Amino acid sequence: MSDINNGVGVIDDDFNPAAAPGAREAAGVRAAAWGGRGLTVAIGVSAALAVLGIVLWVIQLSGGMVQTGMRNLDSWGLYITNFMFFVGLSAGGLIISSVPKAFGIAGFGGISKVAVWTSIAATVCAIAFVVVDLGQPMRLWELFAYSNLGSPLMWDIIVLGTYLILSCVYLWATLQNERGRVSATALRVISVVALVCAVLVHSVTAWIFGLQQGREMWHTALLAPWFVSSALVCGTALVAIVVVALRKAGYLALDQANVTKLAKLLGAFICVDLYFFGCDLLTEAFPAAGGMAVVDMLVSGPLAPFFWVEVIGCVACAVVCFTPSLRRPGLIVGASALAIAAIFCKRVQLLIGGFQITNLEMAGPVTPMTVTGWESGISGAYQGLVYWPTMIEWGVTLGVIALGALILLAGLRYLPLRPKQD
Amino acid sequence: MRYGFAIDTKRCIGCHTCSTACRIENNLPAGMWWNRALTEGGAEMDTPAGEFPDATMSYLTVACQHCENPACVKVCPVGATYKDPETGVVRQDYDKCIGCRMCMSACPYNGVRSFNWEEPSYVVDFAMGDADVPPHQKHVVEKCTMCWHRLAKGEEPMCVKTCLARARFWGDLDDPESEVAKLVRERSSKQLLADEGTKPSVYYLV
Repeated sequence: MSDINNGVGVIDDDFNPAAAPGAREAAGVRAAAWGGRGLTVAIGVSAALAVLGIVLWVIQLSGGMVQTGMRNLDSWGLYITNFMFFVGLSAGGLIISSVPKAFGIAGFGGISKVAVWTSIAATVCAIAFVVVDLGQPMRLWELFAYSNLGSPLMWDIIVLGTYLILSCVYLWATLQNERGRVSATALRVISVVALVCAVLVHSVTAWIFGLQQGREMWHTALLAPWFVSSALVCGTALVAIVVVALRKAGYLALDQANVTKLAKLLGAFICVDLYFFGCDLLTEAFPAAGGMAVVDMLVSGPLAPFFWVEVIGCVACAVVCFTPSLRRPGLIVGASALAIAAIFCKRVQLLIGGFQITNLEMAGPVTPMTVTGWESGISGAYQGLVYWPTMIEWGVTLGVIALGALILLAGLRYLPLRPKQD
Repeated sequence: MRYGFAIDTKRCIGCHTCSTACRIENNLPAGMWWNRALTEGGAEMDTPAGEFPDATMSYLTVACQHCENPACVKVCPVGATYKDPETGVVRQDYDKCIGCRMCMSACPYNGVRSFNWEEPSYVVDFAMGDADVPPHQKHVVEKCTMCWHRLAKGEEPMCVKTCLARARFWGDLDDPESEVAKLVRERSSKQLLADEGTKPSVYYLV
């Protein structure tokens, strides 16, 4: 989680001193590129970390995935957690810029192109996290040659690919529209299609988990709408952080009223997300039967730290968003970061929670391949968290996030993403 | 035709011979078990539940259930795991598997599917078991094949052949004259996690 904050923090810290004055000059002479030395350094650091991530990924593939924390009984880990998380992050940007256009209502003051660009960077990260999780990435072509169209994973690959392409088309159409080469009607049609696709992406990602009858934690019809609401929370929060930081860096001018509007929206999304969580917990707990295991695990069991950080973080963020005197730029950025952290905790609960509860509570032979904490026996392995990532997973994860940061920063520097009025 | 097993839990003595014979016959890599004798008892394998004189211990041998409605087959994005239409055996194509481990998440019978987390290594430095067993591959998912290579020769799975207590039976569940069909018909039996709706082809006689 802190990696993401660092990534955004880079924008904030490095831009202010060096970049801001340069940007103001550049704005005057209509320069194509933006940003000073700070941005250059940030791009360089991101690129270096991304390359390091690729090196670690090659090490993971050649030395074997035994170097990760994943094992047979907890066969997904940090990568798939991040996949869910980044699919969610990608939501906000596209939805925030396409909803006003699709419904013909007032937008958020020219931030739509930057917002879509954050979506594109997050989508690339999400796809990359699936790829680094694969045991046989050289066989990726089989997805297209032998597609099993009944598999939710296949649906996700199709929808995620479409989503990435559509986001790029949407950005391009917005730019062309500003130059008068694409009609407003065409742009509106594209924004409606993009919006539908965005909702689908989150639903399909939820179905990878929610359609599995064998995992108590995942098997709920609520999961798809809940994924959409969680995505709206962290996506809106990401856009809020990025635009406030960019305003401070002098990249764009943005009326505080628009930031307030974003904050209110974020608050509303958080309420919906918490409401869904409440509904799910009540449904699990009320019969005091099998579902009770899920509630116990979250509220007071091994996943309690993640549960309480999510709940308290969300509530705190909502308080900031709904209290006029607290809606100061610094606090909004802090609250947004808290909301993003909260949704990451939600993803951890979902992923590990799926493996933490076993269907066959009988002891069998335990080998180093059985479960992460195999040394302490099968009962010992489930005492705490059943899975915890290893250093190589953290490293590859950092690399993928750096790739996203690289795309985001390079876009700010080289693409005409600033509001039109500049 | 639907090949399946009937396992007599009253005869099973928990000797782990079926599991070990499976490991040898299929030349399984170190650390992998396709078939496991799970202890219905204490917290660790081969330990009883309860205190003397009220201690109990019994076994359930669990491998791939070769479900009629397999959760794994539905979710595999490339069709690397599939149900053989003729025999009902759930099969796994090592050459096709992309290592996404979606099937491992989908299967309710936790632990019957194994992933080769590293280049397969072996306990002894020569290959064991049947020469027709396909070679194991790094970073792919595998599981019980119902000894497909033996079925092809008209032989029964190795776990059935080697069971000391004669607790394991194998045959065509769709053929009313087969031994397994008769046992399932005449004895009371249970299927593992029947509520999941996967319709397993393994019946535990109780």
